[in-house]
Amino acid sequence: MSALATEPSAFVYHAWLASAALPPGTVNGLLKEYGTPENVWNAVISGPSIIDGIPAAGLKTLKQNMTDEWLESVERLLFQHQIGAFTITDQDYPSMLLQMEEPPAILFYQGNLHCMRQKNLAMVGSRAASYDGQKAAGKIARNLSRKGIGIISGMAGGIDTASHTGCIEGGSQTIAVTGCGLDIVYPSANLRLRDRILENRGLLLSEYAPGEKPVGWHFPFRNRIITGLSQALIVIEAKIRSGTMTSVQHALNQGKDVFVYPGDPTSPYFEGNHRLLREGAVYFTTAEDILEDLGWLDNPGIIGQNSGCSGRTQTFTPEEEAVFSALKPGRLGFEQIADRSGLSPAALMSTLTMLQIKGMIEALPGKQYQLKDSDSQHYSDPEE
Amino acid sequence: MDMIMAKTLTFGVSGVNGYPVHVEVFGINGIPGLEIIGLPDASVRESRDRVNAAIINSGKQMPARRITINLAPADMKKEGPSFDLPIAVGVLIANREIITDPAIETEKIAMFGELSLDGRVQPIAGALPMVISAKENGIRDVILPDKNAREAACIEGMNILPVSHLSQVIAFLEGSGTIEKQKQISFDSLKNEIFASPDMAQIKGQGGAKRALEVAAAGGHNMIMIGVPGSGKTMLARCLPGILPPLSFEEALETTRIHSISGKLPPNSGLMVLRPFCAPHHNASVASLIGGGQDAKPGEVSLAHNGVLFLDEIPEFTRNALEALRQPLEDGIVNVARVKKQAQYQSSFMLVAAMNPCPCGFYGSSRKVCRCTPQEIRRYLDRISGPLLDRIDLQIEVDAVPVQEINSSAPAEPSAAVAKRVSMARMIQQERYRGTGKHCNAQLNNEEVKQYCMPDAEGIRLLNAAMETMNLSMRGYQRILKVARTIADLDHTDLIGSAHIAEAIQYRELDQKYWR
Repeated sequence: MSALATEPSAFVYHAWLASAALPPGTVNGLLKEYGTPENVWNAVISGPSIIDGIPAAGLKTLKQNMTDEWLESVERLLFQHQIGAFTITDQDYPSMLLQMEEPPAILFYQGNLHCMRQKNLAMVGSRAASYDGQKAAGKIARNLSRKGIGIISGMAGGIDTASHTGCIEGGSQTIAVTGCGLDIVYPSANLRLRDRILENRGLLLSEYAPGEKPVGWHFPFRNRIITGLSQALIVIEAKIRSGTMTSVQHALNQGKDVFVYPGDPTSPYFEGNHRLLREGAVYFTTAEDILEDLGWLDNPGIIGQNSGCSGRTQTFTPEEEAVFSALKPGRLGFEQIADRSGLSPAALMSTLTMLQIKGMIEALPGKQYQLKDSDSQHYSDPEE
Repeated sequence: MDMIMAKTLTFGVSGVNGYPVHVEVFGINGIPGLEIIGLPDASVRESRDRVNAAIINSGKQMPARRITINLAPADMKKEGPSFDLPIAVGVLIANREIITDPAIETEKIAMFGELSLDGRVQPIAGALPMVISAKENGIRDVILPDKNAREAACIEGMNILPVSHLSQVIAFLEGSGTIEKQKQISFDSLKNEIFASPDMAQIKGQGGAKRALEVAAAGGHNMIMIGVPGSGKTMLARCLPGILPPLSFEEALETTRIHSISGKLPPNSGLMVLRPFCAPHHNASVASLIGGGQDAKPGEVSLAHNGVLFLDEIPEFTRNALEALRQPLEDGIVNVARVKKQAQYQSSFMLVAAMNPCPCGFYGSSRKVCRCTPQEIRRYLDRISGPLLDRIDLQIEVDAVPVQEINSSAPAEPSAAVAKRVSMARMIQQERYRGTGKHCNAQLNNEEVKQYCMPDAEGIRLLNAAMETMNLSMRGYQRILKVARTIADLDHTDLIGSAHIAEAIQYRELDQKYWR
């Protein structure tokens, strides 16, 4: 990529042009006319007081920012955070983005730009996600990643975090598209995740200039880039009215497949999922389902070597058998297990620990338990 | 009529201890009035008006002289209205309104009580430490307000004379009347009286939480409960005093003393038999928890001495308040130092904390959606610091289970049955730690854990496997061993087996789920 070789200071004009928050279409027009952000700068500095296509307010901001102090402060941010940038007129601008409505005119990045060339899938869901949703997101991302497929998400909490983490654990590179300047980590709790993404040669993208705050409307708008960069969208967990639904809308407008994880139909966390499934979204439960539907199932060697749960061959005490069969229909609370297995609380406590150590069951928040592979996963993770 | 010098004996309270105070009364010619010296506080100084009215309403005369009353020792600060009665008696004797029966040595009778204007004797705070101090000072006869009589009635070898009106005291001293002696109440007979704590049998379901309570009670372990609102955390905690072993006489004295000086004993109550249950609201200040104020009064941690301190919604307490709990939790004693006063109070209590899993309360609930962001949940949990969490051995989750989902109709076990097992386990521990100064498993330090809490080979294998597969922290390791010791004690076995370890691990689960 041509932009890669240049010094950070080359990107101050990119930052300047992005700083007025002009609509992407306007900036596209300017870049088509003038070529580079630097040329736009020169045009504004020497040219007439009105430039075609730039609204007056935007032009005012641009002019205000044409000071040495401003340029220096931005240069410092670019340098400090190793932020680069490219525009729609650059040769290596991803062609996938060109196919969408309102393609971003300028993109800032940190990390490895080559990530955009691998097969990528977007994975999205609630920030305040259920335990199940995060678990599923992590697992599916991990298994896709093992097959060399990258995961794109928004580096928010909940499902986004689980998706990025899963992808990193699976060995592929993950892309995060953020809703603020790349010098800011939002939410700040994800500082560690940001570092992990970069350490694992992943990529951070943003159409906002360094220093730009995370403002509410940025997020649904950046969702179009998440879906735009990926071959298909995977929805893990969505409430009826949520940002995830705007991602779905973007994906549909861009002609991408939408895969929806079924989730528990009785849980309010998954209401949106079931609405989408009723409306004809693609149903899937495992990474393999997605690969099959996308026709990417060419390398079946990696997933599914470890079939079935190894714990099955272990011997059970009568108490463990009782708990195991009580849990077969699905997850239960402690009291219900005690009721169904007929064990005393003390005996049940120790039996649950035994089964947990053997890897047969897992504990969920709210004193609930479930069989480890009852989550409709057909294979188990070697590491879990 | 001439005035003479008169002396009466009473007691004051400093910290949890009483000390003798001699009330000296002397009148001289001058403008009629009553002056109290010997560092009286406002409530003592106001005594002169109450005494004045009470004497007249008992049918006697106030002397038309300038009377000086000295409360000796003069260097101790005197507080409270309990000096009314000895002052009134002193004034009457000095004025020769009372000609005392020669058989009665007034200076050898301790007396205290607040007077109302009509001469009635009102109950006071701190009666128990005063009576104990009287006994220590070789005094046998104590005249006190009748509503404080039961409180003092447990002290052996005392002649407790309860009165309800000043005129009774006058008649007694003149030899024209008698005061009916308070019968001694044995500590054991108090125990058989009403059992106020709620009974475990009233709680349907919650077998897991009840078992955890039993373990906590058996080993004296501190405990934290996490659960959605309405899961019954408070109700469970309230059951705890009822399953703890009954207070011993010494413990009852210690606890009652603290309640007595705080004025927290209800009128007519005897020694406290039931372990105290203190549940301060979460806006409690450091001073109200630990003790403080001008007079260095005992706080909730001391009122909960030998009992249970229940902190509901523990993350809502201020950070300072929670951190201040660490010393009393560690030492069982608090030092309260104030400008005017210093005091040391015992504060050996079981801490039971309860909290929601997140600010909205529904994280992990299967029935309602949690509206909190992960950062909000993190911040909420972080309000409980590691060092405080370190002092809590049992962490359990309490889930609200609709009653209709529990099919079994077996009646729940009453507290009495649980209490029996707990007492047995405590006896085993007392036997084991005889001579070490410890009396329950919760008090063991790391060295002693190695000495007393080592499981068998199978248990160690299990624990090591759990450390690996379940992400348990090293700090959890020691706690698990301690709690496993208690579970084995409940089983009456000396050897800690794998089943005990396995059960103990369940009580550390929150480490993995919440404080990862």
